[in-house]
Amino acid sequence: MIGAITALSDSVFFTGVFDPKIRTFDIIMKTANGSSYNSYLVRGSEGVAIMDTVKKEFSEPFFQRVELLCDYEEIKYIVLHHLEPDHSGALVELMGRAPHAKLIISGRAVMMLKGIIKEDIPFEVANTGKTISLGDKTIEFLSTPFLHWPDTMSSYLHEEKILFSGDVFGSHYYDERLFDDEVGDFSYAFKYYYDHIMRPFKQYVLQALKLYRKFDIDIIAPLHGPILRTNPKYYLDKYAQWSSEEKFRKNEFGKKMFSVFYISSYDNTHEMAVKITEGADDIDGVIASMYDLSSLDENTMIDLLEESDAVVIGSPTINGDAVKPAWDLLSCMAFLENGGKVGATFGSYGWTGEAAGMLHDRMRGLKFRLPTEPLKVKLIPTEEDLESCTGFGREVAEIMMGKMVEMEI
Amino acid sequence: MATIVLLDDNIRVKVSDGTTLRKVALKTGASMEFGCRVGDCSTCVAYVESGMEYLNEKSEKEHKVLQMLGEDTRELRLMCQCEVNASEGEVLISYRLA
Repeated sequence: MIGAITALSDSVFFTGVFDPKIRTFDIIMKTANGSSYNSYLVRGSEGVAIMDTVKKEFSEPFFQRVELLCDYEEIKYIVLHHLEPDHSGALVELMGRAPHAKLIISGRAVMMLKGIIKEDIPFEVANTGKTISLGDKTIEFLSTPFLHWPDTMSSYLHEEKILFSGDVFGSHYYDERLFDDEVGDFSYAFKYYYDHIMRPFKQYVLQALKLYRKFDIDIIAPLHGPILRTNPKYYLDKYAQWSSEEKFRKNEFGKKMFSVFYISSYDNTHEMAVKITEGADDIDGVIASMYDLSSLDENTMIDLLEESDAVVIGSPTINGDAVKPAWDLLSCMAFLENGGKVGATFGSYGWTGEAAGMLHDRMRGLKFRLPTEPLKVKLIPTEEDLESCTGFGREVAEIMMGKMVEMEI
Repeated sequence: MATIVLLDDNIRVKVSDGTTLRKVALKTGASMEFGCRVGDCSTCVAYVESGMEYLNEKSEKEHKVLQMLGEDTRELRLMCQCEVNASEGEVLISYRLA
């Protein structure tokens, strides 16, 4: 049973599906209220466009909705705002059923299409400014990359003033009443979705908002959760606010944050951390701080990492590895925009000393700028070692502050 | 030797003819981002502010991928496809395009 068809306007209808039982999305997200895979059908005087499909295992109710609204021969366009499987799962089947349909994807999606669909499908590329016509309806495309897939785009239906925003403005929140003024309180899900999906791409969010604000929007139709029709500007403003929050310290003092995260078993790595912090703090414009990883919870780690212009991590080597809290810290980068943060690693060791090097390699993989080699000290630091630590902190801080590095390779 | 200036990270590095930009990133610890590393994904797209003539020519595939970004591609390069093709000259590169 698919229930009644929901109309967004006289010519736009919901063809999405509901997944009330899902409790974990994309491995990392908790979905206490389930979710929906939204899809929309736009009817014009000269044909129909289907805006995204659904997750493959939910194809049946999707096709039932489509069949209630049109004949497959009428479908002129299928638009995929990005290719993620929860929205492209029914594409191949739909292309097979709709003989006249042309697939519209973004330029960045072209190289990904074969990896998702596994067969040759004819398509047309849409970048910002391209329009398609359904007779009395015009859909204009906007390139909004990296939100949250590289190929993400959005589109705007001029005559109905509807923004099809892709995953932007989505919520994992199942409620068949669908519209934001009819569903329960989904504000936590809207913020949770932003924090986990969009927060790493803040700069791209701000770019997309600039494009969106050029249009007069009555309804935002995202790909998950409630359809936003009461004061769409409120949701745009929320995204703008969350994406442009200034770093607390920078805002207040105009300085750069140099954060030393460490964990220590016999105080040796701690002593190194103290000297590195002192060295960094000597540099004008730097606020250097130390954080003991054994006492930081994940949310604090995420906030501190986001605020930090330099992230320096110290760990002893235990059983040939860095210790778990150091890895936990770096795992938090998945929720953040890196934006060229400076990184460095250090640590005391007793026997083989792999920890600092392993953390350094991981930070390189996470796209930190790593201007120095890892700093390692055998067991208890000597006075000379501690001076090296001070110099290390000073050097990393100077580079964070913009010192030109000259080298030859 | 040619000089590569990575504007976003304040790095000026002298390199010999034939050095790849991937090697430059690795050796300097610069923050340029690489994705697929084979010229498909366009993650490593960068703006060559000057000195394009000291880099290798764009391949047909690189041209095609850049054109799909829908922008003026004349000064853009995919860093994973670039190598220095000169023993002198200066190339200024910026990769934080957002």
